[in-house]
Amino acid sequence: MKAGPSQEEIRRHNLGTLLRHVHIGGSMSRAVLADRMGLNRSTILGLVSELASVGLVREELPRDTGRAGRPSLVVRPESDQVYVLSFDVGVERLTAARIGLGGVFLDRRETRVRPDRRDAGEVTEVLAGFARQMMDTARHGTNCVGVGAAVRGTVRRTDGLVRSASYIDWEDEEFGAGLTRRLDLGLPVAVGNEASLGALAEHLRGAGTGCQDLVYLHGDIGIGGGVITGGQLLGGDCGYGGEIGHMVVNPRGGRRCGCGARGCLEAEAGERALLEAAQRDPSATGREAVRAVIEAADRGDISARAALHDVGDWLGIGVANLVNILNPRTVIFGGTLREVFLGSAAQIRSRINSHALAASRENLRLRVGELGDNGVLIGAAELAFSTILAGPLEALARTTP
Amino acid sequence: MTATPILQLRGIDKSFGPVQVLHDVAFDVHPGEVTALVGDNGAGKSTLVKCIGGIHPIDGGTYRFEGEQVQVHSPRDAAAMGVEIVYQDLALCDNLDIVQNMFLGREKRRGLVLDDATMEEMAAKTLEGLSVRTVKSIRQQVSSLSGGQRQTVAIAKAVLWNSKVVILDEPTAALGVAQTAQVLELVRRLADNGLAVVLISHNMNDVFAVSDRIAALYLGRMAAQVRTSDVTHSQVVELITSGRSGDLGLAHTNGATA
Repeated sequence: MKAGPSQEEIRRHNLGTLLRHVHIGGSMSRAVLADRMGLNRSTILGLVSELASVGLVREELPRDTGRAGRPSLVVRPESDQVYVLSFDVGVERLTAARIGLGGVFLDRRETRVRPDRRDAGEVTEVLAGFARQMMDTARHGTNCVGVGAAVRGTVRRTDGLVRSASYIDWEDEEFGAGLTRRLDLGLPVAVGNEASLGALAEHLRGAGTGCQDLVYLHGDIGIGGGVITGGQLLGGDCGYGGEIGHMVVNPRGGRRCGCGARGCLEAEAGERALLEAAQRDPSATGREAVRAVIEAADRGDISARAALHDVGDWLGIGVANLVNILNPRTVIFGGTLREVFLGSAAQIRSRINSHALAASRENLRLRVGELGDNGVLIGAAELAFSTILAGPLEALARTTP
Repeated sequence: MTATPILQLRGIDKSFGPVQVLHDVAFDVHPGEVTALVGDNGAGKSTLVKCIGGIHPIDGGTYRFEGEQVQVHSPRDAAAMGVEIVYQDLALCDNLDIVQNMFLGREKRRGLVLDDATMEEMAAKTLEGLSVRTVKSIRQQVSSLSGGQRQTVAIAKAVLWNSKVVILDEPTAALGVAQTAQVLELVRRLADNGLAVVLISHNMNDVFAVSDRIAALYLGRMAAQVRTSDVTHSQVVELITSGRSGDLGLAHTNGATA
C-alpha cells in the first residue's frame, strides 16, 4: 500500500496546475500564481522554469501596468507554439479549428453539409483534410498536443465509440478510433457529446466562469445537455449522462421523439416542435427558421407567439426538474435556445418559479451562452488539452516530433 | 444578492400642480442586480426615474444613497454620486463619432486642448470591459450605427464615469430580435460586473430574462417589489393592471383612496 503521493507525483500535479492557471486565466505574474496555488515563490520559480524549458510557457514583461516601479514578469502560455486540433460534426456544417494553449483560435475551417445521413468515413476524410491544411500552415517547430471532436449523440467515454447519433444516422460507429487512425498523429482523438463540451466551454471561458454548478442546454436539431457539478462534468457510468433532451416531461399523449419514446423534452420543446406549432414550412429547418419564428412573434404573429409560449412552458418544466435534482447556480441556454429563451423567458421563469422548490431556485441565475457558435469547438479543444494539463512533461515527451 | 440597497427611496411624493403623480413610493436598488421597473403607461415610471436623476425635485420622502440621506437637486448632483440615466431617445449626436459622444460635455483636457488620446483609450477600455464586439471603430460616426449599436454606445457612455447605478429607459423598445439579445446581454453583464441596474421595460420576456427583482408601479404607487424568482408572469401582469395579485400588492386599489 502506498503511503501517499511521491515527490515526483506532487511535482507533476503542480506543473499541471500551474499550466492550467495560465491556460485558463491568461498571463499572470509569479506572485499571483504563488498566491492562487498556495505555494511559495521559489517553488513557483522552479515550476515556471521547467515549463519554460520545454516551451509550454514564456516569461515576458507585461504590456502596460499603468503603475509605478519596475513591473514584474508575467508567465504567458505559448499559444503559437503549442496547440490542439478541435472538430465539430455539426448538423449543417463540419467545423475544424487549431486552438493554441490559452484557448486562442489560430485557424478555423468549415464546410456546409446537407443535414441528413452521412458516412463516417466521408466525415473522417473531410476532417482529416482540414487537419492537414491547418497543420501545413502552422509554423515549423510548433507542437500538436491533442485532438478533440464533438458529436451530437451518445459517446462512450473510454474509446470514443459513437453509440448513436440519429441526425447523421450513426449507430455504434467507431468514429474516435477511425479518426485517430486516419490522422496518424500518434495522439488518440478524444470524442465527446457536443452539449457536454459546450457546458465545459461555458464553464471555463463563457457565461459560467467561476461557477462550479451549472446546467447547459444546447439547442440545434434537438436539445442537448451538459451538467457541471462541483466543477466537474457529469458523465455517469460510461459517459452517456446529461441527456437532458430526453428527460421525459409529457409521456401521456406527448409528441413522438426521435429516440422512439414519447414526450421527451426535445420532442416538446425542440426545433421541430417550435416550427410545427408556428405552422412553418416543414422543409425549412435550422437556426434561420428558428430565428424567423422569434422575429415573427416579436412583430405580433399570433401563431408564432403561441408556439413560443408552449415551447417556453415545456422548457420551464424541464429546467424546474433540473433545478430540483441538481440545484445549479446557473442554467445557460446556448445554440438556438439562446433566442428561444429570450423570446419566452416569462414562460420559462414562471414555470420554474411555480414548480421548482423555493430553496433550490433562490439563487438560480438564468443566462445565455457567451461563446456562440464557437462554444462546442472550444469545449472539444479543452477535452484535447486535458492530457497535457494532467502531466505536461510526460504528455509533451510523447508528442515532440 | 447583497442585503443593503445602494439606492433606497421611501415615501416619495411628487405632484405637478394639482396632479399627484407619485404617492408614498418606496423603491430599492441593489448592486450586482438588475431591478426591472414595470407599470402601465402613466403609472409614474418615468417620473420616478427623473426624481432619482435629479431632474424633478421630490416633494416629500427620503432619498438614501449608500446608506446616507442625500439631497439631489440637479442631474449634476446625481451624476456626481454615480447615478446615470440612459433615456429612450439616447441623446447621441449623429454628426459626432463614438468617442466624442461618450465624452460630450465632459471632455478631457490637456491644457487648452482636448486630450483625444486619453479619451480614445478610456472609451476603448470601457467598450472592451463590456465585451462589446459589435462596433468596428470607435472613430465611427454615430449616424452610421444601427439601433442596437447606438444603445450600446449610450450604455457605455453611462458606464464610463465609474457610475454605480445605471438606469435604462426602455432600451430594447425600438430594436429587432438580434439587437435586443445583444442589449439584454449587455444589461446582464453590467450587473454581473457589480453595478446596480434599473431596467424600465414593457416586455415581460425581457424582464424575466434579465432581472433579479421586479418593482411594479400602479397609478403612482409602488404595488410591490418582489424577487423575480418568486413570481409568475400572470402575477406581474396583475400587479401592473390592478395593483394587486393574491397576497401581493396594494391593499385598496379601487381608486377610493386619496
